[in-house]
Amino acid sequence: MRLYEYEGKNLFEKYGIPTPRRVVLNSPRGKITFKPPYVLKAQTLFGGRKEAGGILPASTLFSARKKIQKLCNMKVHNENIRKVLVEERIAAISEYYVSFSYDTSTRSPVIAVSAQGGTGISRAKVVPLDFTFDSCLFLFRRALSQAKFPSSDILKVAGIVKNLWKLFISEYAILAEINPLFKTKGGAFVAGDAKIILDDEKVAPGKRRFIELGGDIAILASGGGASLLNIDALIFHGGRPANYTEYSGNPPAHIVEDLTKQVLRRKGLKGCWVVGGTANFTDIYETMRGFVNGLGYVRPKPTYPIVIRRDGPRQEQAVAMLRQVAKEQGYQFHIFGSEISMAETAKIMVDLAYK
Amino acid sequence: MAILIDKKTNVLIQGITGSEGSRASREMRMYGTNVCAGVTPGKGGQRVDGVPVYDTVEKAAHYHPQINASLITVPALAVKDASMEAMFANIPLINILAEHVPVQDSAKVIAWARKQNCQIVGPASVGIISPGRAKIGSIGSGKVRHIFHPGSVGVISKSGGMTAEISVILSNAGIGQSTVIGIGGDQIVGSDFVDMLELFELDKGTKVVVCFGEVGGTYEERIAECVKQKKCTKPIVVIVAGKFTMDLPEGTVLGHAGAIVYRKKGSYMSKVRALRRAGIPIANTLEEIPSLVKQFL
Repeated sequence: MRLYEYEGKNLFEKYGIPTPRRVVLNSPRGKITFKPPYVLKAQTLFGGRKEAGGILPASTLFSARKKIQKLCNMKVHNENIRKVLVEERIAAISEYYVSFSYDTSTRSPVIAVSAQGGTGISRAKVVPLDFTFDSCLFLFRRALSQAKFPSSDILKVAGIVKNLWKLFISEYAILAEINPLFKTKGGAFVAGDAKIILDDEKVAPGKRRFIELGGDIAILASGGGASLLNIDALIFHGGRPANYTEYSGNPPAHIVEDLTKQVLRRKGLKGCWVVGGTANFTDIYETMRGFVNGLGYVRPKPTYPIVIRRDGPRQEQAVAMLRQVAKEQGYQFHIFGSEISMAETAKIMVDLAYK
Repeated sequence: MAILIDKKTNVLIQGITGSEGSRASREMRMYGTNVCAGVTPGKGGQRVDGVPVYDTVEKAAHYHPQINASLITVPALAVKDASMEAMFANIPLINILAEHVPVQDSAKVIAWARKQNCQIVGPASVGIISPGRAKIGSIGSGKVRHIFHPGSVGVISKSGGMTAEISVILSNAGIGQSTVIGIGGDQIVGSDFVDMLELFELDKGTKVVVCFGEVGGTYEERIAECVKQKKCTKPIVVIVAGKFTMDLPEGTVLGHAGAIVYRKKGSYMSKVRALRRAGIPIANTLEEIPSLVKQFL
């Protein structure tokens, strides 16, 4: 889960990382209690905000209000701006970069630091951290020293890095980044920006992923790997997938029912493809029961072809039930098991949908 | 021959009294795997289908010193503690079933495993099978004898479902398997393709290895590096899923927790280019795998 900058800065404050004076507004009329000059920042979840004109300076309260209005009406890379962060402008003499994340090549947390931070930072020193040394401070000082931070700054920056590490661990973040970390004339350090991504497995377990792909064949796939492979196969055969979603493991019927409703809500569908491999332990009868329950809620009643390719425990009961439902309700089911490959049913789906 | 597990593997099941644990236990014993004991804190003294249950791993290991592998079937948030307990008792192989283990917990377990010389497979691993010898986990489930057959092709898959799907396709083409491993699709895994390829390299019974990869992370790119450095000299066939993700926004997460859309390294093109440059054949569909494998047999 990505956090907005203002949410990240609230977390910084909680962990003792200095932040600028600020207020979050959703309209130009909001109250600003501190003095200009200001920096006005559109709150977005994805990068490229500065280049898109989402960050504006303002030297007076009057111009700040006008510019907030402008930011509230804009879009940054397709994201509508709902909130603007108004901050005191920090006069910085240097900008540093520090972050914690995980690296799949070392399979460990890594610290990345650079004495030349700011927008467009290209090269940071990345140092893997050994978890069995826990949060030994020398590891952070070592990384700062390797990245050629001035000696006089190492202790102070390490103090901030230590707090960022506490946040990274306690909040189960998979990315915690300060860029830039401002150094002021007085030798103080202030976090100029906050980029935090929390681990979904910890903060939103069981969150279902649903991505609109814009096409006209709805897909209800099972299995993390099979779902990706099957969309590739559908596109290869000329199909236009409407969505990406997936259920795996052994979900109860109501989960599949809800997903079915979500997947088939889209207008203008030409087909529906229910596809998965030979399950190890997914109860096929239970999941197909969820599918037909969901199908019953879809209005208008689907008349497009529905291709089902599944196999695994209780496959025979599932097939019998599906045939019965098709007969009673008049659905166009085309039912297959593992005797025919998933990729072949992609072609069957495409042929039926676009004939 | 095989890697990781064989007839001499003696398994402990942590979480044996749960539904996943007891099912895995039943299936593994039906396949002829030695399941010595189980652990569920607070249920010491009970039995699950005749398998004795202990409160701690230490106690199970004391009464069953032959234990040399642990299957962890506890819920995601208990995985770190259970894995540490197994490592504390010096168990050299741990297979973790649970999905949705926080990245931080996996990274901590893996850091300690390196120090303890323990091989972790998972999290989110459907299991390991050396056909005809032994299996750990729920791999193959009820149809295990139909899906897997002894032979000389190793299979390593990020996807649990694909371990079965690929093995069925190989078996139908008359190609048996030496060992099939579900390494899991998390961002951080205990054993990646290369860790398993290094074991297959030493295994006389394995002639070819099939890898099922997908977008996200750098484990597929590592296969290419490992081949270029001649650490893996056996023929490898790879399939990479998720070509369609090339146009999705960076950071989008798909089916598995580690299947994250990247623009550069970690993307579909990055993986396919790296593998091609290393001369590794890439299957576009599952059905292409048998013919690509057969040229090396």
